[in-house]
Amino acid sequence: MTTSFARRHATLAALALSLSAFSPATWAQAPIQAVASFSILGDLVRQVGGERVSVNVLVGPGSDAHVFQPTPTQARQVSQAQVVFSNGLGFEGWMSRLLKTANYRGQQVVVSQGIKPLKDAGHGHGHNHGHDHGAADPHAWQNVSNVMAYVGNIAKGLCEADAAGCDTYKANAAAYNEQLKTLDADIKTAWAAIPVAQRKVITSHDAFGYYAQAYGVKFLAAQGVSTESEASAKGVAQLVRQIKKENIQALFVESISDPRLIAQIARETGTQPSGALYSDSLSAADGNASSYIAMMRFNTTALVQAVRGR
Amino acid sequence: MNNSLWPALDAWLMASALFGPFVEFGFMRRALAGCVALSLSAAPVGVFLMLRRMSLTGDAMAHAILPGAAIGYLVAGLSLTAMTIGGIVAGLTVAVGSGLVARNTVLREDASLAAFYLLSLALGVLIVSVRGNSVDLLHVLFGTVLALDDAALTLLGGISAVTLVSLALLYRPLVLECLDPGFLRSVSRWSPVAHYGFLGLLVINLVAGFHALGTLMAVGIMVLPAATARFWVRRMGPLLVTATALALLACFVGLLVSYHADWPTSPVIVLCLGVLYMASLLLAPHGLLRHQRPAASHLRG
Amino acid sequence: MHMTTQTPPPAIELDNLTLGYERHPAVHHLSLTIAPGSLVALVGPNGAGKSTLIKALAGQLRPISGQLRGLSSQRIAWLPQHTELDRSFPIPVRDMVAMGLWHQVGALRRFSASHRAQCDQALAAVGLTGFEERSLDTLSGGQLQRALFARLILQDAPVVLLDEPFAAVDNRTTDDLLALLHRWHAQGKTVVAVLHDVAQVRAHFPLTLLLARERVAWGPTASVLTRAHWAQAQRMQEPFDDDAPLCEAETPAATAAPHDHKHSQGHGHSHSHAHTHTGSHGHAHPSAHATTTAPKATP
Repeated sequence: MTTSFARRHATLAALALSLSAFSPATWAQAPIQAVASFSILGDLVRQVGGERVSVNVLVGPGSDAHVFQPTPTQARQVSQAQVVFSNGLGFEGWMSRLLKTANYRGQQVVVSQGIKPLKDAGHGHGHNHGHDHGAADPHAWQNVSNVMAYVGNIAKGLCEADAAGCDTYKANAAAYNEQLKTLDADIKTAWAAIPVAQRKVITSHDAFGYYAQAYGVKFLAAQGVSTESEASAKGVAQLVRQIKKENIQALFVESISDPRLIAQIARETGTQPSGALYSDSLSAADGNASSYIAMMRFNTTALVQAVRGR
Repeated sequence: MNNSLWPALDAWLMASALFGPFVEFGFMRRALAGCVALSLSAAPVGVFLMLRRMSLTGDAMAHAILPGAAIGYLVAGLSLTAMTIGGIVAGLTVAVGSGLVARNTVLREDASLAAFYLLSLALGVLIVSVRGNSVDLLHVLFGTVLALDDAALTLLGGISAVTLVSLALLYRPLVLECLDPGFLRSVSRWSPVAHYGFLGLLVINLVAGFHALGTLMAVGIMVLPAATARFWVRRMGPLLVTATALALLACFVGLLVSYHADWPTSPVIVLCLGVLYMASLLLAPHGLLRHQRPAASHLRG
Repeated sequence: MHMTTQTPPPAIELDNLTLGYERHPAVHHLSLTIAPGSLVALVGPNGAGKSTLIKALAGQLRPISGQLRGLSSQRIAWLPQHTELDRSFPIPVRDMVAMGLWHQVGALRRFSASHRAQCDQALAAVGLTGFEERSLDTLSGGQLQRALFARLILQDAPVVLLDEPFAAVDNRTTDDLLALLHRWHAQGKTVVAVLHDVAQVRAHFPLTLLLARERVAWGPTASVLTRAHWAQAQRMQEPFDDDAPLCEAETPAATAAPHDHKHSQGHGHSHSHAHTHTGSHGHAHPSAHATTTAPKATP
């Protein structure tokens, strides 16, 4: 009996020793090189990847993914990456060309796989898109539940790229998802206090379709999804009529779009602009929306305050 | 009696397709006011541009102004003052510089201007690419006539007033400079004043145009009405009046079409100008068809 | 005397005038004096520098060296050989001609009824009555030239310079315009015209300058237009000589008083103030200058 116990003990000890050989302390491992297409996605990948992953973001904070032009440095980062994360749903029209130019043969992860996409809200405007949206609205991250699915896809992708760190990734993903659950609940609570009829917001960017669906808020827009398209008189007129008719108080200038048009509408209706929302990208590191969770909290607070009429 | 008359008139105006949008919406009235100011000044400048065979120069100058406006945007955001000053400085530098080179060296006006504006454009793109991002250039490219605030309207009105007064003062030297520059040089010293003064007017009107219509379209409201008017009339006075009238008409119709058909405004305005041009090309007295066909009958002497 | 009681205008003095392009002289060391009220024909072979001289007199060309006196205080009406006029410009004949009144209205003053009457009179004087409202591109070559002369009439300048005014014009027009030149001469204007038709010159012009880059002969027409002088003029070297050495010519005027050299800008040639002849130039200097006061011929 004692010999089998001792043998098991020895086996366990040997196993432990050999496993410790793979720990970071004994074997200095270079971080996984990952590329994320835009800043929000970059934050998510960093949350899941932790110290094991080094993330390069292509469309940085404040930039517009619709009109992005990669620099040579970024093309090099892509070619040296082991895994590339993109949103999908037509958000990065330039991605396939960039990957071809950089001769990228590594792993590609489309994080929106498996979620239920919304149709691109047309609003009856004459859109002249510079890119092809297909039929789907790409801004799925505005619904926190979707981001939980994103996180799952990111963890899976990182596991495939780096099996050794899979446990870490899964743990990080689980922890982050807990934070996201809290965030989702908080947002719902915040809106619960506002009567449904009052939940109307105007922005200059059709990027909040998923937020609208998830949290029961109505978003109206003056321009189409792309920042390239120009306003038509009819679109602006319809919007002004609607604001006046339904007495909408919340008027938001999106962080990467033309504030002059919003100001004009505000002048016309007597409603003052309520500031900016973050839709397609995070803010700078010292700003209000330096991480995804911070962004969603900031947006929600701003929206609720504006709708209340403050 | 007044009580019943005016509401009825109001209701009719509101309902009418032509005036309804302007009665109902302040932003439509502002857009129209901006377009009127722009038409009154840009169209006459465009007539002189055409007569001096400088129509393509207008487009080149628009490219030269763009970097100045882009740099103004980088410095101060979508500030009207910064972008206007930047655009004017860039435009005047290119205009005066290329003019000096053309008048004092073996190079002619076209090559000298091409050299300068290409330099200016490349410099602008480089600076914006290094310091800013791609969105910035687009903001500069697409002005919107639907978003004219008080400051913008004041600017457009001011530029219009300055242009009209300057054209009135410079009219004779300007005409003579187009007609017979050698003669003007031999009888007076107004030649450089007329030349550079006109280039200055061109620059400020392009800057006004790009605030309202964007740099892509600003040249259109200068060049198209002038070319169209040429098919109809053959004297300076009528040319200036006709070009202005055509510009005003196209702006009014363009705003209405953008309103009713839900199309983006500045391309529609320029397309209206284009439609007027094509129609005149075919149908006007000095256009394609009637110009070529011999008259049905002729006079005795 | 046709002069009014004003002070008589100054004579036009050419003092050792050299004109040219890129250091090559088109007109070489020309000295002469044109009395006010002269009617002068400027003749010579092709490339003799006639247009260049007219341009300099009109103030459109700066001399390489030498001086041009007597013109700065007078208004000049200049008809170039190739007008820069844009014939497609949408302007009626009367308005184009009215530009000749610039000295009265300038850039800003209005054209009064009397100005319009003056324009109509000028058009009548050149035989273009009825053409007032026509646009420029409907005029023939001769009619356009008449219109340009009408503008010259309106300029009413004491000095009139014409560069080949009858080049592409028919005989009847030429005769009419020559009559106009005589009327100007009678009014006391100084008229200098570049011409190619020697018969015309003999018949109408009392004074002639025969130019072949340098002064060949100057004075009464009959004494200038001799076979010997023409032969001399034909010997002129027409194309610019790329291998020509620096010109160091000594003239009496150079040693007498300090020169005020008007070097044209951008020409970086060296021109020493004390000139000496070198033997490499193959031209002949007339031994004596012509008299400064040429007799006026009355029509």
